[in-house]
Amino acid sequence: MDIIVYSLEIGAVAAVAAILGSMLGLGGGVFLVPILTLFFGIDPKFAVGASAVVVVTNSVVGSTNHLRIRFTNPRLAMLLQIATATGAIAGALYGVLADPRVIYIVFGAVLVYAAVSMVVRRERQVTAPPPGTPDTLRLGAAFRDPAIKEEVGYIPINVGWGLGVGVGAGVISGMLGVGGGVVMVPAMNLLMRVPVKAAVGTSTFMVGMTSVATAFVFYSRGFIDPTLVVPAIVGVFVGGQVGSRLTRRIKAQRLALLFALILLYLGLSLLLRAFGIEMPGQA
Amino acid sequence: MSDDHLDSESASARAGTAGTAELAARTERLAPLYDAAIKTLYWGFRLGAALLALGVVVALVKHEPLGTEADPIPDVIAMVRAGYASGVIDFAILWFMLTPVATVIVVAASFWRLGDRRYALLCLIVLAILAASVALALNR
Repeated sequence: MDIIVYSLEIGAVAAVAAILGSMLGLGGGVFLVPILTLFFGIDPKFAVGASAVVVVTNSVVGSTNHLRIRFTNPRLAMLLQIATATGAIAGALYGVLADPRVIYIVFGAVLVYAAVSMVVRRERQVTAPPPGTPDTLRLGAAFRDPAIKEEVGYIPINVGWGLGVGVGAGVISGMLGVGGGVVMVPAMNLLMRVPVKAAVGTSTFMVGMTSVATAFVFYSRGFIDPTLVVPAIVGVFVGGQVGSRLTRRIKAQRLALLFALILLYLGLSLLLRAFGIEMPGQA
Repeated sequence: MSDDHLDSESASARAGTAGTAELAARTERLAPLYDAAIKTLYWGFRLGAALLALGVVVALVKHEPLGTEADPIPDVIAMVRAGYASGVIDFAILWFMLTPVATVIVVAASFWRLGDRRYALLCLIVLAILAASVALALNR
């Protein structure tokens, strides 16, 4: 009976994490790991292992829609994936051996960064490339934007920088069990001039592969706990569906400040936990 | 606003449209790749979910407690054959983890069939990197 109650609690928490993640376009892992470690007292390495598997499942579900409407750029995804998957293995190999305090500090810093970028949200509008624009890597693509009912074409630039950022995103993903979209989406948009919708679609496809590398490394060290993973997968699946429906009804931008405060609270809590300080109500 | 200015604007718009049309045609040539990837992800998730549900049902029926650590990969198949719920659940978790790997294989094959050898090769490099992580898990 205890295991059923525990599973329901983990499933409910995972659903909340997925609703928040879905509304912000950050993925569930960004909220799941801090909540599991701070409020359930779960070892951060088991939380990261569970999150990596959940991110894979979420990407498998979420990618199909992005592929169908051509938001995903498969050439760009595969090129960047070389960098992110390599980074993820390196990050995960470090993560499984790292002192938990290091994980708290890095995760805390990522959450504070996400909170700040939520308030100071920047987006680059991408203009259509004129005919004859060089595209030696054949990375250019187009998709039909349902909001403006027009084809949007783009040719990614600064590919070298994108690969460099991809390695960093992979390392963060491998260490923390998050998808890496929190880094890759702004990098693709601001640095590589990829429209946001294409960046989100390409990133959603990529994070599954990035997190596979993370998940197998954590599996190799015994940090995959089925009693945690199973309810988390179910919760994130249900929460993701609810989140995507809520996103259509509520403008997440209107709640940006509230979400930023939640991220900031979780981030600062993890940073304090690294120095042995627990906030009230935490495990 | 002068007619010259309007002509120049519509010319640049036409130029932009032409560029986009070319990119749209290039994207649409990848339609078989998109379809293959969608099918792989769709069935990967559904079969994984079915396996997971089966494992949970077996655990509840047999009152079998689940371990707090997934079993090593070489032991999982033996546990599934022996009818252990934990084996079925570990297999479902591995199935989910292998679905994106299968997608990379499908995407590589699609690029190859479409004559895009460069990106087929890039997919194989991604596959080799993912295989390294799978090898780590196999050697647990």
